[in-house]
Amino acid sequence: MTALTTTLTAALSARTILIGWLLLPFLTAFLAAVLPPLARWLALLCCLATGAVAAAIQLGGLPPAFDLLGDYGVALQPDAFAAPFLLLNALVCGAVVLDSWRRPMPGPFLLLMVLHGGLSSAFVVVDLISLYVTLEVVGISAFLLILSSRSERSMWVALRYLLIGNSVMTLFLIGAALVYLEQGSFRFEEVAGTSSIAALALLLVGLLTKSGLFLSGLWLPLTHAEAPAEVSALLSGVVVCAGIAPLLRLTSTVPALGEVITIIGLASTVLGLLFALADTDAKRLLAWSTLSQMGLVALAPVAGGIYALAHGLAKAALFLVARRFPSRALQGWATRPLPAGVWWPLWIGSFSIVGVPPLAGYAAKSSLDGALHGPLALAVTLLSVGTAAVYGRLWGAPLSREPQLELASDPGTDPSWSPGVLLLLLALVVLGVVALPWGPALASATATAALVLLGGWGLHRLLEWLRLRERWRLPELERLSDLLGGIGVVGAGLLVILNR
Amino acid sequence: MDPFRLLELLILAAVLASFVGLLLRRNLFLKVLSMDVMGSAVVALFVLVGARSGLRSPILTASGTGTGTGVGFTAWADPVPQAVILTAIVIGLSIQALLLVVITRLSRIDPTLDLSSFETGGRR
Repeated sequence: MTALTTTLTAALSARTILIGWLLLPFLTAFLAAVLPPLARWLALLCCLATGAVAAAIQLGGLPPAFDLLGDYGVALQPDAFAAPFLLLNALVCGAVVLDSWRRPMPGPFLLLMVLHGGLSSAFVVVDLISLYVTLEVVGISAFLLILSSRSERSMWVALRYLLIGNSVMTLFLIGAALVYLEQGSFRFEEVAGTSSIAALALLLVGLLTKSGLFLSGLWLPLTHAEAPAEVSALLSGVVVCAGIAPLLRLTSTVPALGEVITIIGLASTVLGLLFALADTDAKRLLAWSTLSQMGLVALAPVAGGIYALAHGLAKAALFLVARRFPSRALQGWATRPLPAGVWWPLWIGSFSIVGVPPLAGYAAKSSLDGALHGPLALAVTLLSVGTAAVYGRLWGAPLSREPQLELASDPGTDPSWSPGVLLLLLALVVLGVVALPWGPALASATATAALVLLGGWGLHRLLEWLRLRERWRLPELERLSDLLGGIGVVGAGLLVILNR
Repeated sequence: MDPFRLLELLILAAVLASFVGLLLRRNLFLKVLSMDVMGSAVVALFVLVGARSGLRSPILTASGTGTGTGVGFTAWADPVPQAVILTAIVIGLSIQALLLVVITRLSRIDPTLDLSSFETGGRR
């Protein structure tokens, strides 16, 4: 009996659990292909496992670093930095599974599980090559998920996504080779010692493009807006984090990158806000807002995880309800009533992104404020006003008063409240309430949030008035050559800035 | 000039050329082909990095020294970049295949595969 217990404890060492958890999505993906009726339960199991690992990391139940197979092996770091990203991965994938519980999911569940596994791995790896492999796995499965609607439009969007993604990852590999040439290792911490500016610039171009930042992220709005709703939720919720999490890890180990990432983050936020304010399509507005929020995530590695978590949960909920918008056009948005299952998630999700106190977005904003100082913190608050103005465009729609009518018109196709959206909203509220500061700090936080909301609403009304007077158009930046040119410009700019 | 530097420069020139091709070609198929050229250049770069310390494969023999010819330890090739690039070759090949399948489907819309027939711009 004791022998059995010792064997069990030995077998269930933290290392075995971790490897099992990383392999689980791929095993269940295979099983789901063989046994389709079990697919939903297996996908849910993967998400639960990831959530449990995130909780175990937070509680200190797992050692923060592993070396597999000795000196030339792969190192994994399931540390406190990875925990929010893993939790985000678990919640968003879980919500998508729950959301499509009674409906056919676009694309097979197999792809969702492979995507989930690739993302989990991307958050814990700490060397350039493993990162390359996981990002390509994520990219290929996201490509296939975008393709799942099989329309001509989606084929073009998916082709664009994979072509850009693979090209920048090839550039990333060149950077990795240059680092290896000098340092003899692919570990992140060795990147700090490299003297090759070109290597740093190439690595950054790869990661910046994958995380949808600034000009190299111009592929993002069209891709996220044209994908099916569930896939958009996955893309905007977690897939962008597969680029930004390693980027933040790299920034925290390579001090030389801090300044340039801050500049790019701010530029990305402003760019995303401008285009979100000018766009005429609700899903594209959400996608541009992702580009701008990712810029804020990039500002501080310490607060990036919690910010990405709060943003990903809210954005996934918004994209999941976007399927049931009466129309995607923002023109005349205020005249079309929304059912309660859309109206409430829209308000709660956008309030969280703006940073209103009882929600997770507020906790993220305050931890970002704590990590920044001086003019940068002020700039973030001013940018929140812009974010409020962006979402102000979605707040005009009234709540529909006839839920019965809606149910009768299409019985059984869509429940009026999607369980996946409920899960995400619950997570937003719970995470926010847990992190809420009680006492006088709460009052000042509420006052700031109220000011931001008022300012945002005022800006929105002002812009609405301007929009009525004349159609102001921003340059069209989303042709394939623009995207590639943007990547080239960002790469050249990085070379110049890092060379100073 | 150091032959290693020369080869490295040639490879980087190939990468640059492929990026220019990716940027300027109007034909989708040629764009994907440019991407493949870039991939091949990266494979060449990794092989070069692996060969910077020597060309002999570091294989253990029964005597345990690795080489019987007395060439010395310094002439061994570095196996790590070669092992790493194998994965990248496989990934590159599969992505190439996926893109070509999509291009085959897209060629029903426009058999000449010109970029402008697919791009309706960002707005719908």
